[in-house]
Amino acid sequence: MHKTRSWYLGKASNGVMWLILIAACVLVLIPLAFMFTASAMPARDILRLPYPWIPKGIHWPNYWNGIRGPEGDFIFLRNALNSLIVAGSVAFFTVLLSAVTGYGLAKFKFKGRNLVFMLIMATMMIPFEAIMIPLYMVAMRMGLQDTYAGLILPFLANAFGVFLMRQFLITFPDEILDAARIDGAGEIRIFSSIVLPASGPAVATLAILAFRAQWDSLLWPLLVVQSDEMKTIPLYITRYMAETHSDEGIMMAVAVLASLPMIILFLTLSKYFVSKEGLTSATKG
Amino acid sequence: MRRKRGFSMERKKAIWGWIFVIPSLIFFSAFSFYPIINAFIESFFNRNLLSLRPPRFVGWDNYTYLFRSRDFWLSVQNTAIFTVGTFVPLVAFSLLLAVCIMSISRLRRFFQLSLYAPAVLSSVVAALIWLLIFDPRGLANQGMNALLGTTGVNYKWLSDTNMLRLSRIIVYFWKYIGYFTVLFVSGIGAIPYSLTEAALIDGANRWQLFWRITFPLLKPTTLLVSVMTMIQCLKTFSTQYLFSTAGAPTRPINVITLSIYNTAIKDYRIGRATAMSILLFVVMFLFTWVQLRLSRTEEVTFM
Amino acid sequence: MERETLRCTCQTLSRKGINALKKALLLFFVALSLVFTSLASAQNIEIVYWTHTDDNRTEIENRYIEEFQKLYPNVTIKRVVYEAAKMGDLVLTAFSAQNAPDLFNLPIEQEYGYMIHGRVAPVNYEAAGYANAEELVANYLPGTFDPVTMDGEIYGLPLELTNWSIYINDRIFRDAGLDPDVDYPKTWEEMIEISEKLVIREGDIVVRRGFDFRYPYYLVAMLPMVEQLGGALLSEDGTKAIVNDEAWLQVLEWFREFGPHGRNLGSPTYTSARKVWDYDNNDIAMCLSGFYQQGRLRIDNPEFFESGEWRVVPFPVFENAVQDVACAYYGHYMMVNAQTTPEKQYWAWKFAAYMLDHPWEYLEVVNIIQPRNDLLNDPRFMELPYMDVFMNDMERGHIVFLHENGYQFERFIKEAVESVMLENMDPREALDILREKVQEVLDDQY
Repeated sequence: MHKTRSWYLGKASNGVMWLILIAACVLVLIPLAFMFTASAMPARDILRLPYPWIPKGIHWPNYWNGIRGPEGDFIFLRNALNSLIVAGSVAFFTVLLSAVTGYGLAKFKFKGRNLVFMLIMATMMIPFEAIMIPLYMVAMRMGLQDTYAGLILPFLANAFGVFLMRQFLITFPDEILDAARIDGAGEIRIFSSIVLPASGPAVATLAILAFRAQWDSLLWPLLVVQSDEMKTIPLYITRYMAETHSDEGIMMAVAVLASLPMIILFLTLSKYFVSKEGLTSATKG
Repeated sequence: MRRKRGFSMERKKAIWGWIFVIPSLIFFSAFSFYPIINAFIESFFNRNLLSLRPPRFVGWDNYTYLFRSRDFWLSVQNTAIFTVGTFVPLVAFSLLLAVCIMSISRLRRFFQLSLYAPAVLSSVVAALIWLLIFDPRGLANQGMNALLGTTGVNYKWLSDTNMLRLSRIIVYFWKYIGYFTVLFVSGIGAIPYSLTEAALIDGANRWQLFWRITFPLLKPTTLLVSVMTMIQCLKTFSTQYLFSTAGAPTRPINVITLSIYNTAIKDYRIGRATAMSILLFVVMFLFTWVQLRLSRTEEVTFM
Repeated sequence: MERETLRCTCQTLSRKGINALKKALLLFFVALSLVFTSLASAQNIEIVYWTHTDDNRTEIENRYIEEFQKLYPNVTIKRVVYEAAKMGDLVLTAFSAQNAPDLFNLPIEQEYGYMIHGRVAPVNYEAAGYANAEELVANYLPGTFDPVTMDGEIYGLPLELTNWSIYINDRIFRDAGLDPDVDYPKTWEEMIEISEKLVIREGDIVVRRGFDFRYPYYLVAMLPMVEQLGGALLSEDGTKAIVNDEAWLQVLEWFREFGPHGRNLGSPTYTSARKVWDYDNNDIAMCLSGFYQQGRLRIDNPEFFESGEWRVVPFPVFENAVQDVACAYYGHYMMVNAQTTPEKQYWAWKFAAYMLDHPWEYLEVVNIIQPRNDLLNDPRFMELPYMDVFMNDMERGHIVFLHENGYQFERFIKEAVESVMLENMDPREALDILREKVQEVLDDQY
């Protein structure tokens, strides 16, 4: 640590900081560069010594076969659509449900409010793996296996979301609400036309978090989904990890395809990924 | 008259409060409360997933079994090693990188976004990439050999107890370093500039500035980040699962959640698996309680 | 409509009193039940059939489903495929949640538990097209039904019976200065020596392997190695774990020597051997696989398939072996859920038997062997490439180890081998842990 002193002093220190940052970025980005370059190479080149960083043109069969799927039925497109439907609906409904509940907990006094809040917060401590089997049985009993509902419903009640929205709305000025009430606006209208539009940053953060969690989810779809048509992208990828279809080139091409929507989302909405509100409030989860 | 009106207004608000809260409660009941209660009950029974025989009540047997079981303690040990091995370097390095970013004047956003990029990938994709990198012919060996000036040494990333644990930590570290760096950057950004300025006027150098002003004020953020990382680490599952299905030995990375999955799904022993889940739940409960306490103190410090 | 009925009922009530109401209600219920029964009989019977992914099989089975549905328009078959590796977990969770498929197939060592626990139904001989059990048994290779027979009832129809032998890439042998005609490994000791000659390393990093296993399948390939030396997983009466420590230690030591902490010849962490073998990419010279590998090879690398530059040789034995045991054969059997309705069970068996009535097509298109006498006695059968090697090894081998907890034991063996190969654990310690775990499961049956 004795080197630290010199970084903090004088002009030379900035140079060291730049070096550290550039080195860190290079190290962090190498695996990503590997994913992109390997996706453009035939499998036999990928595990060659040394790794040929620059592909000789793009080996399109990787992408073509990745999209075509092991059985040639283009199931990837359907699986990608499923992922979008599931992650999108979870994001949408989670935001709605969390906002409604968070608003209720933040702005209305009623008996048992603290108990309700504590109960909801307590669910944050339940590891998903702990309730996986009982949850599966619930889903089965409700006939949710192999349906979108089965993939979506269990994740709508999001304790962190409720917490986030409550914290965000607790500072919302009561005067505005009361003024609207005096003007004769109904509670639902107040919520939908005053509270919700004002919750922009929190809503965006929560929507992205919920979308990402579902886009990433492996264990639950592994249990609930039965048919190929209902699979999501992570399940599609695990097919390529199975013995019969392991081709490194296709694997990386599928990895790129699976990451594209998140990368696009990240590049366009980066302010919500790397925003002060989003991140500091995320710590509280 | 006025009192009565106020009372009915309050009543009305209370009713609306419930209306806003009830839809959520229904979902929480079906998908959180009920399953956890069910898991708690199951942990006192012996039930073979495959058997049609009714479950047998065994009292605390499943718990006492776990405390005697070598595998259970191994998975506790693995989880602890992973948790400590991940959060210490993660917190230290993200703090360092955050300080670096705050000390430079240009490209701050670029560095934050680049470091954050891996967090965008799903854990399945991350595991897929790293499995190829850790292959004996992969980039990890090539990089280490180039760095240490050796030739053709196989560092056994996936085929050695400690290396495998390290590899697992590297994947997590890689995925989340940017996330925590950005957290610290916003933490530092939130420190009122007047404090920094005052210190500089007092003639403090930047080193003193960091240790006397920045670091103490970042303490709540640091604690919070640590606890959050710990909770996340206790829950870790996908990468271990994917690594062990890809041929890496299971023992060194058999964390509690993987053990729960295997006990329930592979060994059919739902009672033991739920007992393990309940123990994990208790530990996480404690951590979260600590976290909530800390976040309360944080608000006091900053407000 | 409903409102109309209601109004009618009311009018009747007002006019003719309670008796008439009773009559009307009775009529109403009779009509209702008639409607329902007619609906039910016209309703489709849906048979849910779960199986593992296999592109070639999907193709022919989808055709069988079409044909079958045309023959029996009231039956719909829903065929659902899963990766072979996930299938066991999924079927288990489905059964525990009372949501299992009507018809499914799994490796027999996994299916065994379902039989023991009464989760699967005995074959409906009539539906399957046989007069009785004897006729069914007589139609197949003797012993085919032994693993699925319990208390005189048969619980499964064989989809495939497979054993593995050693596939060799002749070009790589010659490249290493070996003559594949004579230098192929006959013993496990030779396997290590020959692999050493075939291996190419850059420093310690293996870039070409001589041979490698199919690691997850320890009951199929590793347990017979122990048996060659006179060892066994369980004692005769099934109460004691690990028979003959010396045999186990020798095998574990052999794996340690083979792995990265020994002579560094192969490891479970490398890309699956039998997959890369197909590509003839100078990656690996030998792999362990079944007859069906040829079908995969024809698709993956037709040029190599046609070249004739490959061969199949028998499963090796140890030099000091006390008995000649080849790789165990394993089967996939079609099984029917015992908790589904008798009607569905009937149709499930009828459909299974319909599919399985095409043994030649399964052999030609999917390259899997259904041990039916009409197939095995066909002169064309033995002329298939290297079929003699496989059939000979099958005679030397036996059905894979079957036990209610077999799946679990396989995981324990996997842990033991991995500890020795990848963690450099002392084989004795690994064996002690294995014994302790298996014994604990044996002692704790409930």
